[in-house]
Amino acid sequence: MAASRRAAVLLLTVLAGAMVVFFAMKAAPGDPALSALGENARPELVAAFRRLHNLDLPVGEQFATWISGALRGDFGRSLTLAGGVPVGQLIAGRLPVTAFIGLYALILAGVISMIVGTVAALSRGTALDTLMTSFAVLGVSMPDFWLGYVLVFFLALNLPIFPSYGFVSPSDSLPGALLSGFLPALAIAAPMAAVFSRVLRAALLEVMHRPYVQVQRSLGLSSSFVFLHTIFRNALIPYVTIIGLQVRYLLGGVVVIERVFGIPGIGSLMVDGAFGRDYPVIQACALTFLVIVLGTNLLVDLLCARLDPKARGR
Amino acid sequence: MTEASHVAGISRRGVLGAGAGLGVLAGSGWSGPALAAPGVLRAAITGYNVVNTLDPAAAALIPEFYVIWGLYNGLLKFDSQMQLVPELAESYRVTDDGALEFKLRSGVKFHDGSVLTADDVKFTLERLMDEATRSPNRSKVSALSAIEVPDPLTVRLRTAEPFAPLLTFLTNARTGTQILSRKAVQADPAGYGRKPIGTGAYRLRAWEPGQALKLSLFEDYFIPGRNRIPEIEIPLIAEESSGVTALMGKQIDLTSTAPFADIPTLERRPDIKVLKQPGLNTRFLQLNTRKPPFDDVHFRRAVSLAINRDVLVRIVLFGEGVATPALIPPSLTASYDATPKPLTTFNAERARAELAKSKYGAGTTGAILTWGSGWWKRFGEVVAAQVNQVLGTNLTVEVTEANTVFSRIRAGDYQAGTWGWLGMIDPDEYSYDLLHSSGWRNFAGYANPALDTLLIQARRELDPARRGALYKQSEHLWIEDMPVIPLFCSNVHNLLASNVTGFTQLPYSNFGDQFATMAIG
Repeated sequence: MAASRRAAVLLLTVLAGAMVVFFAMKAAPGDPALSALGENARPELVAAFRRLHNLDLPVGEQFATWISGALRGDFGRSLTLAGGVPVGQLIAGRLPVTAFIGLYALILAGVISMIVGTVAALSRGTALDTLMTSFAVLGVSMPDFWLGYVLVFFLALNLPIFPSYGFVSPSDSLPGALLSGFLPALAIAAPMAAVFSRVLRAALLEVMHRPYVQVQRSLGLSSSFVFLHTIFRNALIPYVTIIGLQVRYLLGGVVVIERVFGIPGIGSLMVDGAFGRDYPVIQACALTFLVIVLGTNLLVDLLCARLDPKARGR
Repeated sequence: MTEASHVAGISRRGVLGAGAGLGVLAGSGWSGPALAAPGVLRAAITGYNVVNTLDPAAAALIPEFYVIWGLYNGLLKFDSQMQLVPELAESYRVTDDGALEFKLRSGVKFHDGSVLTADDVKFTLERLMDEATRSPNRSKVSALSAIEVPDPLTVRLRTAEPFAPLLTFLTNARTGTQILSRKAVQADPAGYGRKPIGTGAYRLRAWEPGQALKLSLFEDYFIPGRNRIPEIEIPLIAEESSGVTALMGKQIDLTSTAPFADIPTLERRPDIKVLKQPGLNTRFLQLNTRKPPFDDVHFRRAVSLAINRDVLVRIVLFGEGVATPALIPPSLTASYDATPKPLTTFNAERARAELAKSKYGAGTTGAILTWGSGWWKRFGEVVAAQVNQVLGTNLTVEVTEANTVFSRIRAGDYQAGTWGWLGMIDPDEYSYDLLHSSGWRNFAGYANPALDTLLIQARRELDPARRGALYKQSEHLWIEDMPVIPLFCSNVHNLLASNVTGFTQLPYSNFGDQFATMAIG
């Protein structure tokens, strides 16, 4: 019952999101036909283009056509690509690249925040704590695109360790992908790592002072055992939750960073779509992002339930 | 062809500016190599990542032409001084009965091994003229009335009226008249744009849409040369600033554009060569002369006099351009009239005197239409600020999107707008199209019989010097009426790694046509 209700809510959210995306695009200025054909295009060409892409139908009908196609996995054809490549094909080709960069960033953010958050919590009130907390504040306040350029400046131009531009696909070479993806992933990861480590630090500190921890300590259990089995495990619940919430920022970062580094993923596809008023492409990308965010949140909920026996019954 | 198609490149200078870039396709992605393979020139197209077609007849975007210029040749081309010289033609002349006759070089081969004949030229031009081809470049050959092939190496072009711009339109520039192989097009008419067959020094080897193109040397190229670079890789880099970092990181060797604001810094670097010159473009304030307040000639003149164009160039283009006294840009040397014109020279006192003669006074309101988030927006804002300061008017800026600006200008639904054209290579396009009473870009409906007569005369004059003189004269005929307010022309740029040689920059922002002469040191 709960599961089917949950699925229904998820589907409704996707539908509502799709509707917002669709009508927001329709409200944007600019004629996609003129964007695609150039403003010198002769009127009959423009009319043919509009017919071909259903742009001459009433908006409601356009939405119905699009959403019914999308539900069947048919996102229509790109308005701007020669021959009108099917958008589904575009997304399928680019999703693995974005997934790679996104996961890479998430892992980097996870590793960094685990270290920073734990060190800060364990050395609370010391200079080390202040240093780690300042790092977190700095991370949160840096825009990712700016950080991207700064990283390129130091780690690609001054110290030529990483390439300054371009991306090797993991299907071509995994070491190449890890190397060329490092700077973009780090640029996306840094602000997230900052948020994660602050949350982890606060959660660790909070759990440390819970009565059951004091009880365990008073029973003579070793402090490392208590930390790993009780404190850390309980602190992971808010930590994992915040990771779920941050996925939308991760996707925002992907959009900008893919563009800066020329990574052929969904983010850069969406930007290209936006520049070309390519509605089908933008809508499909936005919908993909929406599904990723909702899917991740579902995953996080399930994970939290596993971590916290109390949540299982809910 | 139009300003709007270039907007993308310019305003993408920010991380996410505005623009009109587009598509991309699935793929493994351009694997930005950390090390250059020997014998590969990595010539990046920057500011754009869209190449939809490599069929010259269908091409509309500048990045498409960047590649086309390397794959094809025209009957003629521009030399380094922007003079017309034969390319696939060996020579040309005007016959006694007024036709343009081209003698073709013999033994020129297409990439598929077939030999170029006059029939291919006839086919190319007729295909372009054919309404069914729906070419955006059709206007380049619309003056043609007949194409004759007296023998396999001679082609004669006839026009109903003498039409001097035709010679310019047959160059390997942004024209669409590059010569195709009849055989190759007819073998696969629908797929030709993806499988181009030209006579150029390089042929297409691979194409990852939205990411990169790869060309390899065509061994049978008709111009003999040694040590040509065997492979050209053309990454498509949407962000101009990313193009700069890629060049600094030694991942590319050449860019097609550069961000204006970065030029001074880049010029100081020893590892980068910056090439720049005023480009073939013209930027102006388009006025709606049918609506207040720009329906009053004195008001129009007052606004023109109130704009300090040098300041505009400094603020809007970071100095990367020149103030222009009229519409034909400086790089069209034969036609450019450099004489300073009082009405397009900043003079606050005279501006206020003109305003006093106008039916509109200080406090007049009006909106300047502009777009984007980059320099076009700044362009509108600086113009409004200058005019308001000098005249005490209340001009405001309305920011929207480039295509919307164009549609509204065409429909007359505006008062004033920032506008401009680039990629036009003949003075006729800057004068006849914009100011002749039947010019298709004459959106204000400006009509001046004396100017009309002169521009027709210039179209019929085949002698370059005499023709240039007519265009110079034409700029004086309309300036008093100020139907548009000419402002400035921006530079074109290429960035090269310091070990790359052999690239000669031309003001129309050439690119692929230089691959054959380039070398990596």
